[in-house]
Amino acid sequence: MEGLGISLPTLITQVVTFVILLVLLRLVAYKPIMRMLDERSRKVKESLEQAEAVKAESAKAEEELKQQLAQASREGQERIERAIKAGEDIKQKAQEDARKEADGLIVRARAEIQRERDEAVDGVRREFADLTVLAAGKVIEKTLDKKEHRELIDKVLEESTNLKKN
Amino acid sequence: MTAPKKRGCLGCSFPVLIIVVIVVLAVVVIGFLSGGIGQKMLGQHLNWPSWLITPSPEPELPASVLFNVFGLPITNTMLAGWLTVIILVLGSWLITRRMKLIPGKIQAAFEFALGWIYDFCVSVAGEENGRKFFPVICTIFLFVICNAWLSLIPGFGSVLLGNHELLRGANTDVNTPLAIALISFVFVEFYGLKTLGLKYLRKFINAGGLFKSVGHILKGNVKKGLTGMFSGLIDIFVGGLEALSELIRIVSFTFRLFGNMTAGEILIMVAAFLLPMAVGWMVYGLELFIGFIQALVFSGLTLAFVSMAVISHEEEAH
Repeated sequence: MEGLGISLPTLITQVVTFVILLVLLRLVAYKPIMRMLDERSRKVKESLEQAEAVKAESAKAEEELKQQLAQASREGQERIERAIKAGEDIKQKAQEDARKEADGLIVRARAEIQRERDEAVDGVRREFADLTVLAAGKVIEKTLDKKEHRELIDKVLEESTNLKKN
Repeated sequence: MTAPKKRGCLGCSFPVLIIVVIVVLAVVVIGFLSGGIGQKMLGQHLNWPSWLITPSPEPELPASVLFNVFGLPITNTMLAGWLTVIILVLGSWLITRRMKLIPGKIQAAFEFALGWIYDFCVSVAGEENGRKFFPVICTIFLFVICNAWLSLIPGFGSVLLGNHELLRGANTDVNTPLAIALISFVFVEFYGLKTLGLKYLRKFINAGGLFKSVGHILKGNVKKGLTGMFSGLIDIFVGGLEALSELIRIVSFTFRLFGNMTAGEILIMVAAFLLPMAVGWMVYGLELFIGFIQALVFSGLTLAFVSMAVISHEEEAH
């Protein structure tokens, strides 16, 4: 033992030295370093989680945007369709109205024409009757009662009309 | 062919290189001739200037007592140990004084070194235990490696106080490895007892099987009792071996470190005497490596022992 140099005082001193070193290093090295390492790993974890959350959120937002776009496009399509349909309806209605009006016009015009023709025919007939009365009076030099005449002539005309019709 | 071809070798132009080689060779030859081997070969024909003569080494194992403080002998190895403590604590304090989340170079290196030891602890002992064991393991590692490397600094052992060196590598005094080995022993036993309680002692004093077999014999079941008694005796014997190995660890810890470090010191002295300036630097490189390995072995073995101590035998068996 002497040759090796083992001595109790030195041994105890070295043990104490080691313990002091342990305590001091714990204070100035291990605690701050462990705290720093822990904090860093926590930060890294946090930022990773944050990035994950941001990613998820952006994906969600994109999805929402897509949905909104689809909805808007659908709505727009619907509106266009409705507008087209309304336009078509209006067109159809306008056409119908126009046709109806035209038909009415035509009918009215026909009736007018008919009426005017009848009037004209009547007028001509009346003129003709007067003329005939006049001419006949002249011919027979006898002025017949005008009323009688008229009856007579009407009768003749009736006959003639009937004849013509036949 | 893009860069112009640089003439020369090892970053020097040829003339410089040749001069360097000549100087190195001259140093090696002078060292060889002036050293122990050269002087024996050539006799005393050459009179070297006195500063070139290396004194013949006189290694002695006990550390020299420099002076006494209140009756406590202060040895040069104790001073070296305190110097290690001061350097370690001061260095750590300077580095960790202003820690930043985004570290500078020195902080990153320090964090890397400690983080490496921490990962080592966690990989051997698991997350929870590794964190508990880390301070002691890391202190053992740092103390051993700094003691070893500090004594390699040129001039470390050159300062004399009276007839003795003022500083001598703390690991080369058998008391320092013994002190660390005792701390390692206490550390292992403490955590073993703390984690497993009295169950921990069952590893060493395992008489349960014997008592059971005696009970069998008393009940009349002699055959079962006798076989049980045999294995019970083996259990006791194995427990004794376990206890003995626990104590032998102290001795092996002590002399592994002490032997390696002292041998390194003596090797450097011998190399400096026999072939001064020629091979000393190679031995230095070797010693750097050995210092690292010894620190790793000491702390790694302590870690392994304490990890084994906190695992109960029942758990191990299943």
